[in-house]
Amino acid sequence: MSIWKYLFNIEERRNWWMRKMPPSPLRDYYEVPFPDKEADWRQVDYLAVDYETTGLDEDKDEILSVGYTTIHGSCMRLGDATHILTRPQGVIPGESAVVHGILDDAASSAEALEDVLPHLLRALAGKAMLAHFATIEYHFLSNACERIYGFPFVGPVVDTLALEVRVYRSQDKSIQQGDLRLANARTRYGLPRYRAHNALIDAIAAGELFLAQVATKMDKKNIMLKDLTVVS
Amino acid sequence: MEVELLEIRDFLVLHHPFNQLSIDALNGVLGDIEIRYLRRGTDIRQDHGLMESLYLIRTGAVELQGHDGELLARLAEGDMFGYRASPREEQDDIRGKVIEDCLVYQFPASAVDDLCEQHPQLDYFLAPVGGDRLRDAITHVGDDSNSQLSMMTTRIRDLITREPVIMPPTATIRETAVAMSEERVSSILITQEEMLQGIVTDRDLRNRVVAKGLDYDLPVTEIMTGETCTADINDYAFEAQLQMARQNIHHLPVLDEEKVAGMLTATDLTKHHTTSAVYMVSDIHKQNDIESLQEISTKSADLLVNLAAADVTADSAGHVITSVVDALTCRLIKLAEDQLGSPPVPYAWLAAGSQARSEQTAKSDQDNCLLLDDSYDEKKHGEYFQQLARFVCDGLDACGYFYCPGEMMAITDKWRQPLHAWKKYFSKWIDQPEPKALMLTCVFFDLRCVCGDRSLFRGLRKYLQEKCRGNRIFLAHMAGNALTHRPPLGFFRNFVLIHGGTHDLTFDLKHTGIVPIVDLARVYSLAAGINLVNTQDRLKAVAEGGEVSEEGARDLQDTLEFVSFLRIEHQARQIRAGEDADNFMSPKDLSNFERNHLKDAFSVVRTMQNVLSQRYKI
Repeated sequence: MSIWKYLFNIEERRNWWMRKMPPSPLRDYYEVPFPDKEADWRQVDYLAVDYETTGLDEDKDEILSVGYTTIHGSCMRLGDATHILTRPQGVIPGESAVVHGILDDAASSAEALEDVLPHLLRALAGKAMLAHFATIEYHFLSNACERIYGFPFVGPVVDTLALEVRVYRSQDKSIQQGDLRLANARTRYGLPRYRAHNALIDAIAAGELFLAQVATKMDKKNIMLKDLTVVS
Repeated sequence: MEVELLEIRDFLVLHHPFNQLSIDALNGVLGDIEIRYLRRGTDIRQDHGLMESLYLIRTGAVELQGHDGELLARLAEGDMFGYRASPREEQDDIRGKVIEDCLVYQFPASAVDDLCEQHPQLDYFLAPVGGDRLRDAITHVGDDSNSQLSMMTTRIRDLITREPVIMPPTATIRETAVAMSEERVSSILITQEEMLQGIVTDRDLRNRVVAKGLDYDLPVTEIMTGETCTADINDYAFEAQLQMARQNIHHLPVLDEEKVAGMLTATDLTKHHTTSAVYMVSDIHKQNDIESLQEISTKSADLLVNLAAADVTADSAGHVITSVVDALTCRLIKLAEDQLGSPPVPYAWLAAGSQARSEQTAKSDQDNCLLLDDSYDEKKHGEYFQQLARFVCDGLDACGYFYCPGEMMAITDKWRQPLHAWKKYFSKWIDQPEPKALMLTCVFFDLRCVCGDRSLFRGLRKYLQEKCRGNRIFLAHMAGNALTHRPPLGFFRNFVLIHGGTHDLTFDLKHTGIVPIVDLARVYSLAAGINLVNTQDRLKAVAEGGEVSEEGARDLQDTLEFVSFLRIEHQARQIRAGEDADNFMSPKDLSNFERNHLKDAFSVVRTMQNVLSQRYKI
């Protein structure tokens, strides 16, 4: 969790950057207040997000596709589901193409990341970002923002992997290798197994896992957004 | 939609009615989906939006409860509930309870209405009444019927294309011949006030007039065939074909009740292909020993497979298959009489149970009895009939129609009795309806004369009819008995399934689906004093008589057809796989489409059972 520590008090940083920043899609994003961290989790809107990337190093690797859909309280809407291919500047390494199935040809007809980011930022405005192992999504996005707009990205983040870790801790169970992978976590909640591997279905998969996780927690107490976030 | 939603679309495609939509239409549907996760124990109440959305279960299980908390259905993956998903009469008080954590796809009511407006397939399926949906299923199942065997499903009514060509009995031979020539027909009916007097064919003109040099001005009654076979306009075409094959005739007058309705010729029928059943029956009538009959009856399994492959209706398949055991019975009786000499007193051989109702499918046990004339004297005639019954029942057993485990067969002394003894039996069963009596009543109230003296049988039937009609106490007992087999609440994994034994994890299609309807129809027709035995015929007749609502009767007819059809397909599948046919089906063998409709079927039966139970205050 140490990775998140220096990012505390995002609301303050939002205000500071908003004043400092020239007009840009990122500034538009900061114009909208973050959801209240004291709000009941059901009053909050979330954006389930996933990317396919050329690798896991946010400094070197590039985003190949972005998938997201909204969750309003306890309900995920497929009507808002979006999937966008982005055009990388480098060549797609063979080993990552095996995973996501995005080849150079398809990617070269896609939009440049600069053109994709505004869509994603608009969708994220006023919402909490939700992903499985969200540190990847968060840092890739922040890096891209820094490169394109000169400022980093911050916002409340819900990480279904972190939530799953808490479940293990609260039950005093030891975590075995693979337990925290999205597919395995989903299996524990009786969620269906998705064969496909793309940004949108993984975003949906993470969103469903989130709904299952909070539904399971719900009988304990009133849950606030801050009980679910890794960054808030 | 985004192609990346394939995983979700693929799920919809597997489930009726979404599988009826084009890919484009499905892509549109995806946008309306809201995904929710419902925790075990969640109560989806009326005021909590149960009827504000249509829910499709992706994973997990939900229980639907009625007004008094009674269990209506257990639903699992692929099942729907909520807005427009349940039959109308259940909608008001329904509540849902999540019994296993669920991922559900939820369609808001307004989206459902929009979708239904755009896609008639959805509109039809999500129409509020169970029965209508079932009718949809039956037409759907029977879509690509094979014309080869269409005779099995065609009624004679549909084959008659013109008004009958008729002459009065006062006409001369010449006038008759002129009329035939003008009308270009090979036969003509002689009628008086629409009543059939006789028939004249080309062959009669050749053999009886020209060859004998008869005077053309003689009245036609001189050469007509007076006593002739006839067919009923509501019979199946194959029954007419059987009759022609058996009697070696080519023209069959068709009657609508007593009146002449038309003429059916061999040519009309050969337009349709001949069928294996017809060959089997005429073959049976040519055999002179049990061994050859045995050999022929091994083919009856193929017959069932052919019928299933041809998509004939279950009702007509029942008639066809029963016609084979009828033919076997008749032939065996003929062979017995050849051996034992002619019978000392008149008798009738009666089939009981499913044979009587013409509802046999794969080979089943034999249920039969012997009705003897009142002049029967056990000392003098007992031996003869005992031997006759022994010969026939043994023969049927050898042909695969095994001895009835309940011994309801003519070889049992008790079931080989003169008319007055039978009347006494029935009188006792009706006046003292104990459980054992009711069980016997169910078997012996479905009786049909297969062979022998029909007037003897009519006497017994008339007696029963009068004894039962309006007898509220007896009818209430029969109604109570008709409620003993309740269809299951729904399919929920193993919930309604049989556990252990040879039929592990299956459900009994006969006792959960067919027997309840047969029982209901029997009560209706006893109450209405109707003589019919076939369940479809009974339901048709009671609807006209008002014993049950027309809609209710129609729903039951469709339900019976649907469940019986599933049974025949199941048995055909077993026979093709080299297994013995039975009534035990695994839910795995059902398509989702069939599962949904089976649920509708069960809901129709339960509704009708509830109506009956209220009517007789059981």
